[in-house]
Amino acid sequence: MTEPPQTVEPTPGPGDPAAGALATDGPAPGEPPAAGPTPQTPAAVRRRASLAGAVVSALLVIAIVFGSRLLRDFDSALLPYAVATVFLAFGVAYRYTVWVSAPGARRLFKQGRRSFFSAANFRKAPTALPKMIATYLGFQKFLGARSHARWAAHQLVFWGCLLAAAITFPLTWGWFTFTSSTGSGPGYEMRIWGFKVLGFDSLSFFGWIMFHGLDIAAVLVIAGASYFLWRRMKDRGAITGQRFAYDLVPLICLVVISVTGLLLTFSSIFLHGGGYEFLAVLHMVSVVFTLIYIPFGKFFHIVQRPAAVGMQLFKYTSRRKDEAVLACRRCHEPIDTAPYVENLQGTMRDLDLRFDTWAEYCPRCKRVLRGTAYLDHVKKGFK
Amino acid sequence: MMGRTIFIDPGRCIGCQACVSACRECDSHRGKSMIHLDYPDEGHSVASLPTVCMHCEDPVAPCAEVCPADAILVTADGVVQQADTTRCIGCANCVNACPFGVPKIDLQAKLQMKCNLCYDRTAYGLAPMCATVCPTGALFYGTLDELRAERPGVQVADSFTFGSTTVATGVAMVVPADKVQWPVPGGLPVVEINGRDVR
Repeated sequence: MTEPPQTVEPTPGPGDPAAGALATDGPAPGEPPAAGPTPQTPAAVRRRASLAGAVVSALLVIAIVFGSRLLRDFDSALLPYAVATVFLAFGVAYRYTVWVSAPGARRLFKQGRRSFFSAANFRKAPTALPKMIATYLGFQKFLGARSHARWAAHQLVFWGCLLAAAITFPLTWGWFTFTSSTGSGPGYEMRIWGFKVLGFDSLSFFGWIMFHGLDIAAVLVIAGASYFLWRRMKDRGAITGQRFAYDLVPLICLVVISVTGLLLTFSSIFLHGGGYEFLAVLHMVSVVFTLIYIPFGKFFHIVQRPAAVGMQLFKYTSRRKDEAVLACRRCHEPIDTAPYVENLQGTMRDLDLRFDTWAEYCPRCKRVLRGTAYLDHVKKGFK
Repeated sequence: MMGRTIFIDPGRCIGCQACVSACRECDSHRGKSMIHLDYPDEGHSVASLPTVCMHCEDPVAPCAEVCPADAILVTADGVVQQADTTRCIGCANCVNACPFGVPKIDLQAKLQMKCNLCYDRTAYGLAPMCATVCPTGALFYGTLDELRAERPGVQVADSFTFGSTTVATGVAMVVPADKVQWPVPGGLPVVEINGRDVR
């Protein structure tokens, strides 16, 4: 736990391959940030969000139709899943638009995008962005700093879900097909958008992996999600303020999806398909519910987390030289990069929080100044 | 001001750090103390000032308003919770926007943490850890009536000025009777000559 100094990243050392990134845009320190755009009414935001949702889901439908070669490769048994992904696309686009329309997110989104598309930044630090993506999104190093066990469990859930999504989404959309020229194998061909990508023997180890990828994903997810469920029952910090719909439902969904998925395999191998239809319906219902839930619950963090990369990239690229770090006006301890503080002040003005100059003081000085004011003007006997 | 809340009386604080130690025992952030204890005129005065989250009501929770990740939840009872671990991206917007200098940030964990009024306790009617252990009553938890039953005639203020802005809070401070009609100064220096504070 740290407080001041508030510099968000340590100054990169000489060994840091990303060191030396220079920013060429953004307001100079001391220069007032640009005035924010006129606040949008909630109705206008909702209209824009609905439009974005409609456009994205329409694009997905078109991609499904053409990707499945005008539905020739589309598996009608998977129709409920495909429909759910269209709803998912609408929900994610809608929620995302609403989210980035709020002043704090909008300003950060713009700055992150500006840093991302800056050719100068890319030339000077081409590895910075891939490194940040791998660190924050792939290996989630920050979770290790919170708890090693949570990091391990989250990695299991993350890679399990990623594997499952990489397999099921294209299958659902009819983009992937597995066909055998001999009818029942063992030689199979994997095709993407109708083009043959690879051929394999379904009885080989590789073939086993190909056909049991979802089982592997389910095992990973069950292990991770079970730990998180156990933690939600036992860890008093996690229990404080936890909400059933927000904190527990996502975990229950993941476990139900994974267990019913594994049971489908169990049924086909050991029960000769006994109970398969019931399990298939149960599995489908749990998956469809989860897909539709994604934009409106805890899973939305999957969509939000890349903002962490945008934020880091913005701070990183704006750390051009020492004076770009804003020092507390009273104690001169570093607060944060100057463009970042200016961005925050702009956000505060957008929100009509008219004490934005206060952001140029470190938290400790704010408290000490308030204590001094109380001492001098409120209760002199306090001395 | 909330019904049951913390009342801070800096005049009673002896700077013993009992609240800091007790805060560390809170289940919702075990091992990390969220209360601040500052000495405004260190070396010249024994005055000390405990700072808990003031749970701003109007404007409601500036920390939550500036959060780009919608990570700070304000519960229906007016308690501004610490950042949702799933959403917080560790940007420090809340740390630098808070007019009272309350939130802390763990830069490695990319996580903000702050006083949540010991929600695991206050949600069940128990006093927060800091108010439970404070030996002098500088931190009192209860209703205004309960405070006045113990300290007849005591006056409190729940609004603070920062420049031209007044912030109304859920947590209140004890003030002398003749100061109760004015908001408590928040400490934002307003007098400058050539960009330097001259207060």
